[in-house]
Amino acid sequence: MIKECLVIRIRELKLNTNIWAMLSMVSILFITLPNLNILSNVFNEPNENWLHIKEFLLKEYVINTLIIVIFTGFFTVVIGTSLAWIISIYDFPLRSFLKWGLILPLAIPPYIAAYTYTGLINYTGLIQSTLRNKFNISVNQSYTDIMSIEGSIFIFTMFLFPYVYTITRAFIAKQSASLIETARVLGRSPLAIFWFVILPLSRAAIIGGTSLVILEVINDYGVVQYFGVTTFSTAIFKAWFSLSDVDTAIKLAGILMVIVFGILLLEKILRGGKKYSYTTTKVRPITRIKLSGLKSALAFGYSAIIFGLGFLIPSFQLIHWAIITYNKVFDAAFLQLMLNSLLTASVASALIITIALIIANYSRISHSIISKIIARLTVMGYSIPGAVIAIGVIVFFIAIDNNLFWLYKWVKEDSVKLVLSTSVFMLIFAYVIRFIGIGFNSVESGFEKVGKKFFEASRTLGMSVTQTFFKVDVGMIAPAILTGFILAFVDIMKELPLTLILRPFNFETLATKAYQYAVDELIQEASIPSLIIISISFISVYLFHRVADREEN
Amino acid sequence: MKKVSRILATAILALSLIALTGCGGGETANKEEAAKSTANESKVVNLYTDRHYDTDEALYKIFTEQTGIKVNVVKGKSDELIERLKREGKDTQADLLITADVGRLHKAKIDGLFQAVSSEILTNSVPENYRDPDNQWFGLTVRARVIAYAKDRVDPAKIAAYDDLTKPEWKGKILVRSSSNIYNQSLLASFIDINGEEKAKAWAKGVLANMARRPEGGDTDQMIAVAAGQGDLAITNTYYYGRLLASDNPEEKKVAESLGLIFPDQNGAGTHINISGIGLTKDAKNKETAIQFMEFLSSEKAQKQFSENNHEFPVNPKVEMSELLKSWGDFKTQNIKLAKLGELNSHAVKIYDEIGWR
Repeated sequence: MIKECLVIRIRELKLNTNIWAMLSMVSILFITLPNLNILSNVFNEPNENWLHIKEFLLKEYVINTLIIVIFTGFFTVVIGTSLAWIISIYDFPLRSFLKWGLILPLAIPPYIAAYTYTGLINYTGLIQSTLRNKFNISVNQSYTDIMSIEGSIFIFTMFLFPYVYTITRAFIAKQSASLIETARVLGRSPLAIFWFVILPLSRAAIIGGTSLVILEVINDYGVVQYFGVTTFSTAIFKAWFSLSDVDTAIKLAGILMVIVFGILLLEKILRGGKKYSYTTTKVRPITRIKLSGLKSALAFGYSAIIFGLGFLIPSFQLIHWAIITYNKVFDAAFLQLMLNSLLTASVASALIITIALIIANYSRISHSIISKIIARLTVMGYSIPGAVIAIGVIVFFIAIDNNLFWLYKWVKEDSVKLVLSTSVFMLIFAYVIRFIGIGFNSVESGFEKVGKKFFEASRTLGMSVTQTFFKVDVGMIAPAILTGFILAFVDIMKELPLTLILRPFNFETLATKAYQYAVDELIQEASIPSLIIISISFISVYLFHRVADREEN
Repeated sequence: MKKVSRILATAILALSLIALTGCGGGETANKEEAAKSTANESKVVNLYTDRHYDTDEALYKIFTEQTGIKVNVVKGKSDELIERLKREGKDTQADLLITADVGRLHKAKIDGLFQAVSSEILTNSVPENYRDPDNQWFGLTVRARVIAYAKDRVDPAKIAAYDDLTKPEWKGKILVRSSSNIYNQSLLASFIDINGEEKAKAWAKGVLANMARRPEGGDTDQMIAVAAGQGDLAITNTYYYGRLLASDNPEEKKVAESLGLIFPDQNGAGTHINISGIGLTKDAKNKETAIQFMEFLSSEKAQKQFSENNHEFPVNPKVEMSELLKSWGDFKTQNIKLAKLGELNSHAVKIYDEIGWR
């Protein structure tokens, strides 16, 4: 008995200390170190600014944040999962387009969407001015005011639901069709199957997607600032920008980080052993039910309305503005901006997926609590506003530069000290810290679905962990890998706060160009860079969809 | 299927390898650039700025054409750039910092990020009230915070002062953006300086009581709301009005045409102004070119561009203003030390928070 136990222990030790563990530890170290700087501020003595914020602002800010988070979370789950389900099991007109088209709302930065919707429906907007000038109808302004808590919930829902949709759909797509078919044979209606089979099975994916939405909502500052809605991030930036107290700002951000991290860890522990994975090795695609008549119209209408609100309408508005401002704004320099955006986004996304794979693979193989904590740590960078992360990254890189100065001098005698921290390397590193959580959530839900049976079988057959990873695992979770890559890519394309603070000299991306105009209340001029971001995301989502589709079949 | 995924895995690995080497390349490129900058020190100037205007970019180009000096730029938000400067310390490569708010210039000075510049050209073209007493920062452009009114229903004679906004007759008529905006903070800070904290607070309370709606959107949105009839008066910076008037959207043009501007307190303390300005960083590596650049921005040529294309008031009194700015006529400005706006900024913020102006 004792001997047996010992053998198991040794085997576990071996599993825990292999190359995967090493790589994971190193990656997570780099990801968390810059954030530690932020966390260390949590214990700062509260000063008068802190007390001021606590006394006058915090209560309202927290309540507003909770309202927005709860409602956005609820609506994105409803919209995201229902669309994932409809698209996965039904056939109806334009389904194969909508299948990937529904990811596209993610391509539009929420703050641009906020400006766009405001510009569309306000007094000088297309709708009201047409009504006024052509039909002499004037609209009550209070009906067209989108700048409110409800408005921000609408914007966040319409432009973030694809996180839930994409991750859940990738999950259902590879869900053993036999489960669904068995339920069908046993006489369950599609709705009942959704309710009692798919929903419980997809829990990990839905929670993964929703937590991304919620994190994005919590750390948003663009939308809420424009709409005049005060949230927790308002407190952070009020301390920093208005009260010139960056320490209090970081302290607030650190507290936010601890809370978010705690909730995510708690969720993972509570879910604990409940894991659902393939029951059979025969994974077939789902046979879709062809809808006709009213049902078909309903399924199509529902998906089309969401697609319209989240993508078509704002895109058309942006195109309209682009036509007006084309002469003034567009020039050859945009080619360079496109190249910058594309390069940084693809390099960073590739790094993210690689690291996500390493950590996810390690955390599923190892049983240690450390591996579970490591897994949760990946979302650290996604839980607080990017501007605060940026401070941590600057401090970290200046420290590296200080320590590597001898090396720079050795390479080049008259080298300056700040080499890495004035290069695009720092920015890419920051992207990885920020968005690793997105790649990781996708990859992790892929692994959770596959389970460990195949991994164990392969190990029993004499393959090493690494061989198994390349020969078995990567193939099985390919759609999840692709999903993670696209999500990270699209997110980095539109990333703003990190790029603004950390960019090297003369480095401009499409997102910073759009911001340049939008911040100056020139939303019409911001339309061209925004549209290019959207087009690049459009093309890449389409290409990846082609690859993923081939994988699925 | 396996094959595709293997290709995929290799592709991702390859990409990340490229990424690593790619970054290595970026690094050396950067080093080369840095080396170049030390080799021909007179040939670059490195700038951190929070002015995001196309006008500024055009000016950088003209400067390079004239002098052969390359202008390297990082554009960001002022507080974030100040934080970056602080953390980079004496090793920073930035030579200059431009902010669009005098409060931030003052903050950078207090934080020891600037050094004094003695240049006759600068002191000649920038009047004393638009620069730091120790010559650590210099104003470049002036913007006034004024009141836009609906021409068809407001008699402008009724609002001569900012204080008139608090009169009960304007209940539900005033449109103004959130207090998290720096221009509103500076406005209140100036009142604190001129009238004292109590009166400033009373003013903010009075305006809050007269608001037509919860503060939302930017200055442009307030003017549009006046045109739409949601209120009668909007507090706005002058150049937003200029831009609305020059908009490509005919509807926005109509909005501007339906509005008039009032420059308040002409019989009192004067209209509130703020400036955007520039300072030389304490450890600037390209001091000479940097000062040259500062002088260029204060020159009549550059100042004219600020006024023509961005509807800002030039600081250089020799410069002829654009037609639009001239049409507003001369006006009296608040006669306070601009640095005070920075010192009193957090007081202003706290007053807004206490009375509940979001």
